[in-house]
This record gives sequence, structure tokens and C-alpha cells, in this order.
Amino acid sequence: MAAKDSHATRFYRALLRLLPFDFRGDFGPEMETVFHEQHKEAGRRGGATGVLRLWWETIVGIFRTAPGEHLAMFAQDARFALRMMRKNPGYTLAAVLTLGLGIGANSAIFSVVNAVLLKPLPYEHGDRLVTLQQQAPRAGMLNQPFSVAEINDYRTQSHSLDGLVEYHNMNFILLGRSEPERVETGVVSWNYFEVFGVKPLFGRAFRPEDEQPGAPAVLMLSYEYWIRSFGGDPTVVNKTFTMNDKLHKVVGILPPVPQYPDENDVYMPTTACPFRSRPAFIANRQSRMMQVFGRMKPGITVSQSRADLNSIAANLQRAYPNDYPPALDYSIRTSSLEEELTHNARPTMLVLLGAAGFVLLIACANVANLNLARMVRRERELAVRAALGAGRVRMFRQLLTESSLLAVIGGGLGLLFSWGALNLLVGFAARFTPRAREIHLDSTVLLFTLAVAVLTSLLSGTAPALAARDTVVDGLKEGSAQSTIGIGRRRMRSLLIVAQVAVSFLLLIGAGLMLRSFVKLQHVDPGFQPENVLTMQIGLDFTKYNTNDKQRAFFETFLDKLQSESGVKSAAASMMVPLNGNMQMRGDFQIEGQTPVPGQVLPVADFRVVSEGYFDTLHIPLLEGRAFTRTDRPGAPDVAIVNRAAARHFWGAQDPVGKRFSTDGGKTWVQIAGVVGDVKQYGLDKDAVDEIYVPLAQSPLLDAVLVVKTTVEPTSVARGIIELLYAVDPNQPAARVRSMEQVRAESVAAPRLTSNLLSLFALLALTIAATGIGGVMALAVGQRRHEIGVRMAIGARPGEILRMILGQGMALALVGIVLGLLGALALTRVLQRLLFEVGPTDPLTFVGVAAVLSAATLLACYVPARRAARVDPIVALRVE
Amino acid sequence: MSAVQNKPETHEPLTPAMFHVLLALAGDDLHGYAILKEVELRTGGKVRLSTGTLYGIIKRLLSDGLIAELRSRPAESEDDERRRYYRLTPAGRQVAATEAERMDEVLSIARSRNLLKRTRTA
Repeated sequence: MAAKDSHATRFYRALLRLLPFDFRGDFGPEMETVFHEQHKEAGRRGGATGVLRLWWETIVGIFRTAPGEHLAMFAQDARFALRMMRKNPGYTLAAVLTLGLGIGANSAIFSVVNAVLLKPLPYEHGDRLVTLQQQAPRAGMLNQPFSVAEINDYRTQSHSLDGLVEYHNMNFILLGRSEPERVETGVVSWNYFEVFGVKPLFGRAFRPEDEQPGAPAVLMLSYEYWIRSFGGDPTVVNKTFTMNDKLHKVVGILPPVPQYPDENDVYMPTTACPFRSRPAFIANRQSRMMQVFGRMKPGITVSQSRADLNSIAANLQRAYPNDYPPALDYSIRTSSLEEELTHNARPTMLVLLGAAGFVLLIACANVANLNLARMVRRERELAVRAALGAGRVRMFRQLLTESSLLAVIGGGLGLLFSWGALNLLVGFAARFTPRAREIHLDSTVLLFTLAVAVLTSLLSGTAPALAARDTVVDGLKEGSAQSTIGIGRRRMRSLLIVAQVAVSFLLLIGAGLMLRSFVKLQHVDPGFQPENVLTMQIGLDFTKYNTNDKQRAFFETFLDKLQSESGVKSAAASMMVPLNGNMQMRGDFQIEGQTPVPGQVLPVADFRVVSEGYFDTLHIPLLEGRAFTRTDRPGAPDVAIVNRAAARHFWGAQDPVGKRFSTDGGKTWVQIAGVVGDVKQYGLDKDAVDEIYVPLAQSPLLDAVLVVKTTVEPTSVARGIIELLYAVDPNQPAARVRSMEQVRAESVAAPRLTSNLLSLFALLALTIAATGIGGVMALAVGQRRHEIGVRMAIGARPGEILRMILGQGMALALVGIVLGLLGALALTRVLQRLLFEVGPTDPLTFVGVAAVLSAATLLACYVPARRAARVDPIVALRVE
Repeated sequence: MSAVQNKPETHEPLTPAMFHVLLALAGDDLHGYAILKEVELRTGGKVRLSTGTLYGIIKRLLSDGLIAELRSRPAESEDDERRRYYRLTPAGRQVAATEAERMDEVLSIARSRNLLKRTRTA
């Protein structure tokens, strides 16, 4: 019996642990006695049923009582904490601000990480979507598009996909509004959105009959274009608009989903594209223009799908050896769409999240330090409370309540910060991924912020709470001189300072490396002069300018008129402008005198169409031979100009001027007229590729970029040039009007913004750490006034005192810097991918950061040190 | 420690269980187990308080000043030193009386509406 009773008692005691500590302290033993008696009686009177009933009632009773008691306890602690916070507004402000910045940095970056990297794609079948690319690595072709014949083959022969759709981009001209408007158009299979699992917001999706030749022209609006151009008016569905030569009917409006690979204004079925519809185009297996997306059958993995598609590729190579030269070794590259949409953002976002985490750690360390400092002043209060019977757990709880209140207020402030920064963040993330528009402060972000706040309160509250233990013991000791108590606490404070300096060092190194890298990027010679150049996109109406002659005539007339415009020095048209490279016209060719060996890969280069004034307008230096002239026309011998890289690569030591090559297997030959300097087409951080320029007069263009060298600020002449364009053809719009400087700035916007953000974090860390170290030294000086007074009384000079305090502060900083240095050596490797021509252990950055950090901490220590040096020994000694 | 002024009308409404505890203590000073027994006895076993509920109530009543812990202990031989005895304070008595009067008024309304079959003599 006794054994059974003690079992019951033990279990009851365990049950009591659900109640708050204080409650148990007050009533626990008594409750045990009562329960013991209840238990005895229940057994006596009701037997096993009575005991069971008692247990049931007891358990329910405890579970009902516990939450309310905990809440009451928390409310009491919170009231007390708020009173303490009001009594110390300076401390409260510093702590809340520090935590707010730390938490805000984290929730802001997390909102990006969450939307871009964590959430599934907002397509219904997002996890089953893959992108397909043809590749022939030996020929340097890594992402070749597909031809109509290939799309049909892969669609019908694939076992792993239950949907395969195509996409390409073109532009239409919307007429009938105040000005003609270029409309970016995605040309897609009728079931494109069905395969993605995107349902229209209004209206309907495409149907098979929309894709029949001769079907009425229909289109769907992208959500962004609908909002931008139609103010989100749903009645636009079923309205018709004149685009190029035809009426097009709006059948549906898309929801806000990431658009990939391009941000389009509208979507049309494949039959809307006259080029894609030509019988000759459809028949030619090598007319590769379309991108392809597949939807894997449920349960199929990407690698299974890749294997399936590559076996089709192998069959096609056997069946059509002319279209897939064995030497090129064609294969299919498959990757998940999710990966495709986010892989650019991943390294940067993770680095930023790490940096934000470090900022929070510093903030926590700083608040913990503030708490410890305050503990010195609260020693008496805490000791009195302890003497009055507040248990250790009780004190711990009280201190944690204080720190969680601070963290929650800080978290609220942090959310405000990130809410304020949201638009900036979306703009920033858009440089990396089409998913940027999904960034919101949603429930996940709120939950994350709450979790961070809780973690913060634990991190910043535990140290002082632990330190409160020796206070309880030492605080009331008679005449305990302040310098003798809390040695452990002082050590903890030093440790926290060292940690702050070390982590600041890490962040400063990260920011320093990014900044150095960005500066290097800025100083890269792009191979042309971007100053005073205006650019605009002019996509000709393909129905109106449907022959080479018409296209050539348009540009010749327009460029001629432009030359005499005031403020214009020279003008040219080109397929693309440097640093804005997404349009590739890659092709192979045969060099005269080199008989192609069957099975061998031909030379490959990027072909670019430019008008005669192009090199002049962009100041691309002519190294040898001549530039294009008026005489390079149809009928005259075909000419080309190569860049220096191509000249070296294909002609070596020989002078390429006068040499010939052929792009059609030797039927016609093109003569090289000159050699120009290399230009950074694809980005300042990318090497120049082999390029062959051909004159616009000999191979006309539909969609061209106008480049204009101006004698005045380039954007100031934009309107005049557009008016001139309307004078030539009132239905011809200009789009993307930007100065070349803007193009250049945008090309480095991603690294610039990344280094700005990292610098902001680092600066934040530096400020927090420096004020932290200053605060701790100030406190130490305050506590040691007596000792300093004694030192001065026995002959120490102010200078010596100054040096002593500075020395002690700097010793801590130095330890922090050394630790930070070790950490940085281990950690900066993660930055490698984001850096340009700067090693992750760049000595200059390391030395510079160490100097900056030392200077900042020196300055932070100087203020308290000077105060120490001014201590009047008489006053200091009298105080005690 | 500032004394808290206890005005009966400012208290939150009494729960039935709290009222029962006050009623139990209105007769005699009791320890915890005795309160449980008394409540159970008076209600014919209809109200059974668990220890958790009881001490939640005792804590409330103590902090509201409606009951007080007895300093002097009964010198009986069976006194257990872990037992504590509670007594109704004047404030507690007044709150209990107010509550009883309120209930009485409610009852007389119920009677006048013929909602009570038997009328007990007071």
C-alpha cells in the first residue's frame, strides 16, 4: 500500500510541475497532503473506480488551472518589466532600437528567401515543370532552342512527360491609342497555361481552335500589363484591339504569376507569329527558335525525364544525321523550372540571410551587455527580491520576461522596418529572379519574426539571468565593494564584446570584399564609350516592313534624318547594345582555305548586325582595315568586321583583313573588311566572345536598337528623336528609351545592390559593436572611479590613466579582430561566386577592415578613457 | 507593500465554485481537505472540487483578501504541520453575503414566475 501511495504521490508531484513555480512553492506541499487524503478516501469508499475518478478529476483540474495561473504570472512579470523599462528610457530605447534593426534585417531578408527560395512555384503543377534545352557542348552551344519538327518529335515520343509546350517572344504594335505602343508578346502553345497549371483571372485560356491556321486573332493579357495599361478593368475581356494589321480579341487575363523567360505584356497562340507559321520554317528541322517546357508525369523525377528525352535525342540523331552532325554530339539538358527561376538568386540571398543573422547576433550580444550593465545598478533590487523569497527560477523568469518584452517590441519595430523596405527589396530581388513579385510580409514571415524574437529574448536574456545568480549570493554581503563582485559577469561582458567585434569584422570583410569587387567591376573597360549615348528599341511592324528592302529603306531614311537633328553627333542601328546581351545569334562558319573535315566542329562565333555608323557612335576602336560604308550594299560583295578576339582565335598571327569565310557551306563568301576592339556584350564581368559584325544594309533587321551619340545630355533629345520617328512612320513606336550610362548601371545593379545591402548590414554591426564597447568601457570607468582616484592620488598621471583604459578596451577589440579574422578566412569562401577579380582572402580588404574596426573601437573607448583621465582623485575618494 | 483596499463590489463575479468555498468557510475555519469535504457534503456530492481547482480558488481569494491564512493552528493531536487553515475575512463574509442576497432576489423572481416547484422555508 505504502509503495502504491508513493507512486501516486510521485505522479501527482509530476502533475504539479504544470503549474507555475510560485504556485507550486506556495501550495504544492499542501496540495500533496490534500490529494493524499483524497486518494486514501477514494480507495476506501469507491475502490478502483473511485481512484480512477479522482485521478480524472484531478488531472482535468490541474490542466484547467495551469494556463490561467501562468498567464497571471506573466502579466505580473510583464507589468513589472514595463515599469522597469519606463524607469530606464535610455536603456529601453537603445535595446529596442538595436533589436528592432537586428530583427528587421532578418525578417526583411527572410521575406525574400521565403518567397523566392522556400515557397513552391505559384503554378499548380510547379514541382513537375521542367525546362528543356538542346545542347552541343563541343560546339559551344549550351542552350539551343527547338524547331517545330523537334517539338513535335519530343511531344509525341516522350514517355516521361504528359505535357510539352513551346514559347518564343516577339513584339507587336498596338495602334489606336494616343501613341503607337510596343507590346512584348509571348507566343505559346494553346495549352501552355494549362500545362503550367495557371487559370485565367478573368475570361478564358486558349483553346485548340485558337491555334488553327486562319483562326481569329486572340490574346491573353499578363496581369502586370492589365494593371498598367487598363487599370485592372475586367471589362477589357472580349474587347478588340488593332495590333499591326489585325484586330485581336482579348479572351482572358492572367493572374499575377512569375513570367519566365521574359516579362511579356500579352500572350498569343503560335499561329499569331508569321515566321513560326511559314511552311518552310515548319519544315526545316534546323529552324530553332522556340523554348520548350515540359510537365513530368506524376512520380517522375528530373533525371528519369532527362534519360527518356535523351533516348529520343539519340534516335533523332540516327534518323537525321544532316541536322545533328555526329561531331556536335547533341543531347538534351533538363532542369526543374523551380531551379531555373531561382538559381541566380540563391547564393546572394543566402549570403544576405547569413549576414542578417550575424547582425542579429551582434544586436543580441549588445542587448545582453546592456542588461549586464544594468544588472550592476539593479544588484540591490535583485538581492532584496531574493532575500524576500523570490526563488532563482522566479528571478530567471522575471528577467526573461523583461528580455522577451524587449524582443517583442523590437520585433514589432523590425516588422515596421521590413515593411518600409519591402518595395526596395522587391526591386532588388527582381534583378535575380522573376519570382520577386511574390515577396510579401505573409504569415510565414510573421511567424519567422516571432520565432526570431523569441530566440533573441533567450539569447539576450539568458546571460544576465545567469549572472543574476551570483548577485543573489553576493549582493547583500556587507560592504561588498563593487569591484569585487561579479567577476564572472565582467568576464561575460568582455566575452560579449569580443564576440561583437569578431562578428562585425566578419560582416565588414564581407561588405569590403563586395565593395572592392564592385569597384573593380566599375573600372572594367567595356570596350566602348557609354557617355552621351541614347538608346531606344525600335521593333518594326513585321506586317508592313515585310521585305529586306523595306526594312533597309526605313532605317536608312530614319538614320539620315537623325544625323541632321540638333544635339545628335552620330547615330546607328544595331541588333543589340553592349552590356544588355540576351539576344544571341550564334552560328558556325567555314574559313576559306580550311576544308571542313567531316565529323569536325566548325568555328562558331556570335553574329551581329550593325549599321554603318555603329563603331563610330560607340567609339569602338577600329584596329585594322576599314569600318562599314555606304558602299556595302546588296549587290556589292558581302563584307564583315571581326572583333579582336575572333581575329586572334581564328586567324592567329595572320592579318584577317581580306580573308573570307562562308556561312552556307561555301556557296557564298564574305570578306573581312576590318578588325575592331573587343566589347563586353554580356556583362562587365564576362569575357568578350568571338564576334562577327555584318552590315545592316546587307542583312536587314526587324527589331533594332537605335544608338545615338549626342552633344548634350542624351535623354534630353529623346522626345525629339521619337517625333522624328513618327515623322518617318507615325505608327512606329520606340520603347526602352535609356541612356547607355543607364544600360551600364543596370548591368551592374545586382552586384551594386548586393554590396550596398551588405555594407548597410556591416555598418549597422560596426555601429552597434562600437557603441557597445564604448558603453562597457564607460561602465567600467564608472565602477572604477575609486580605484582610478587611488591611482592618481599615488601619482599616476592623466595620460597614463587614458592609456590604461584605452589599452584595456583595445585589448578586447584586438582579440575580437583576431577571432574575426580566423572566422573570415574560413567563411568568405561562400562569397567567392559573388566576387569579381577579388579573392575571398584579399589582403587589402582584410588590412583595411582591421584598420577601420580598430579606429572605430579606439574612438568608442576614447570617450570613457578621457573621462577616466579627468577623474578628480579627491572627489573620487570622497564618494566611497 | 501597500495594502489593497478590498471593496466587495469591485471584485470580478464569483464563480459557483468560489462561492461554495466561501460558504464552506462561513461556518468554520478549515484546512484544504476539509473545505473539499464540506463542499461535497453540502452539495450532496454534486460539486466535487479537484485540488488544482481548489488551490486556484484559494490563491485568488487570498490575494483578493476574501480569506486569510490562520497564523495560530489548532492544537489538536492530529494536526498535520503541512496543513494550513483558512478563515473568511470580514470582506469575504460581506462578498458572500452580497452574493447570497443577489441569489435570493433571483430566486424570488423565479418563484413569482412559478419556476420553482417547491419553496423551501428559509
